[in-house]
Amino acid sequence: MVIRRVASYQEEIASVMFESLAPFGLQVKGKSVLVKPNLVGLDPQGFINTHPTVIAAARECFLRMGASQVLVGDGPALDRDTEAILESVRLREHLGPLRNVFVDLNLDEVQRVTFPTRASRLRELYLPKTCMGVDFVVSMAKLKTHHWAGVTLSMKNMFGIVPGACYGWPKNVLHWAGIDRAILDINAAARPDFAIVDGIVGMEGNGPTQGKSKASGVLVLGNDPVAVDATCCRVMGLRPERVKYLQQAGTLLGHLQADKIQQVGEHIESVRQSFEVLPAFHQLVA
Amino acid sequence: MESGLENSDVARICLPFLRGTQNPDAGWGFRPGTSSRVEATCWALLALWEPSQESSEDRVRVHRARDFLQTTQLGDGSWPAAPGDETGCWVTSLCCLALKAIGDQTQSATIESGLRWICNDWPSDSSPWRRFLARLSSQHDVAPINTSYRGWGWTPGTSSWVEPTSFALMALVRAESPELAAKAKKRRALATSLLFDRMCPGGGWNAGNPVVYGAAGEPAVVPTALSLLALRNAQARSEITLSLDWVQRTAANIQSPGSLALTQICLRTHGRLQPGMAALGAVLKRSDFLDNTLVAAWSVLACGSDFWLGKPDARTVAA
Repeated sequence: MVIRRVASYQEEIASVMFESLAPFGLQVKGKSVLVKPNLVGLDPQGFINTHPTVIAAARECFLRMGASQVLVGDGPALDRDTEAILESVRLREHLGPLRNVFVDLNLDEVQRVTFPTRASRLRELYLPKTCMGVDFVVSMAKLKTHHWAGVTLSMKNMFGIVPGACYGWPKNVLHWAGIDRAILDINAAARPDFAIVDGIVGMEGNGPTQGKSKASGVLVLGNDPVAVDATCCRVMGLRPERVKYLQQAGTLLGHLQADKIQQVGEHIESVRQSFEVLPAFHQLVA
Repeated sequence: MESGLENSDVARICLPFLRGTQNPDAGWGFRPGTSSRVEATCWALLALWEPSQESSEDRVRVHRARDFLQTTQLGDGSWPAAPGDETGCWVTSLCCLALKAIGDQTQSATIESGLRWICNDWPSDSSPWRRFLARLSSQHDVAPINTSYRGWGWTPGTSSWVEPTSFALMALVRAESPELAAKAKKRRALATSLLFDRMCPGGGWNAGNPVVYGAAGEPAVVPTALSLLALRNAQARSEITLSLDWVQRTAANIQSPGSLALTQICLRTHGRLQPGMAALGAVLKRSDFLDNTLVAAWSVLACGSDFWLGKPDARTVAA
């Protein structure tokens, strides 16, 4: 786990990220990588989605580390015009031509995937072949509160791989299966290898789209998505063990307890914020 | 903006793309070289039907696509979203719309069974039991909507949402047999009420949550355009005017070809198409539209007539 202080999107994010990735010794040379940002909707002000400079920095880093291919892909949940979202965040300006770089996971080829965890009543789902076929998946979330799940971080971000062309906009079948349990099933099946959370500017309150921006000035990175999300909660001034899906994920998929998470970079206390939550989630406040 | 399909940039870009990407099984994938999907096939079929009036090759493509749709229909009359899926879903409405649009009498039984499935597909959120439970929930006022109105979900057994409801409304207008037409009429009334109930406070629609935790939802182009197409024959109401005003205000800033194409179709259908919108051909040339079959098809339809909506060419109305 690494926490890095990054004050704004104008900083040399690729350098900071590359340096932060070094301790993990990630074996991505010659491998295909999918960087999966959180692209929820139109975002002209830049605090709903993973910022394009962070996405571009991650792509650059993995290419520098020798990956044979680094794709960027997401399946936005609320708007089927993915290109409109990409235009609104100006992703082309950061990544160049998108044709062979960006994959709209909503419209990707699909394969039926059985869930080993059986946490929700979903036994299987169609999931995108790109995501299931690459060698290395990076979940790149935004540091946000969420009006149904409490928080949306690297694990909830994986909802975005579920193809809209099969399940709609929004992917309502996941809500009916229980959001918390569906998060466990999808993460257990897709197994993101690494997580990077863009907390340079996050969102508090009525997230994932209608909250207020929250300048938090951090990047959080790690190879255990549960630990990354737990750490993000602590940075947000929230108690991860009270987030339902994290509580369960801590027993199945990774580490939740602070004493089991090896961390370098900034101390949590030095970057801790108090994120506002909706009344339904007051119990999460530390 | 293009005044017609012939000789337009849209035709030069999109028609060869669509003609060149039909799969050997006669369907289209969402992108070139990917497996055929019902949704992509429906839109490509509609886009190629109009030029096929002058091109026997396009007519062959459309007829092959029609056969693909016929063979992918499930036993219960529905169509699945993914190849091999045994459960039908919202694309059934689009299939019925597409097959009806090409006016092929041999498809009547196929279409009728699809429409029957749509009539019998009720969302689960608004069942009497669910509504009773919702009243007891501490969260019942989080997203205030009238659950006595019922539309359609993306997948069976889930909640009503704006887009699948809009497609079903467009399809059910085409129900012909007296028994089915009566059923369809009831469902359409409920679903029309649902669309008005789900409109965002300032006009326009998003996926279907007009207000969450007291915050007014932001409308989005695609669900708004589709809702307005579904409501094109509804009685004049202030909500429609308000939403069309929103579309017109928004149109000038649309940068993506897919949204722009649907906006043009919507405004033309309502006789509100005006100069000042970005030229669709120019936007297509600037972007690579991610090789998206739907965007190519919507763009062709934006420059053609509204035959697929079941009414005469509306360009004359707009003019």
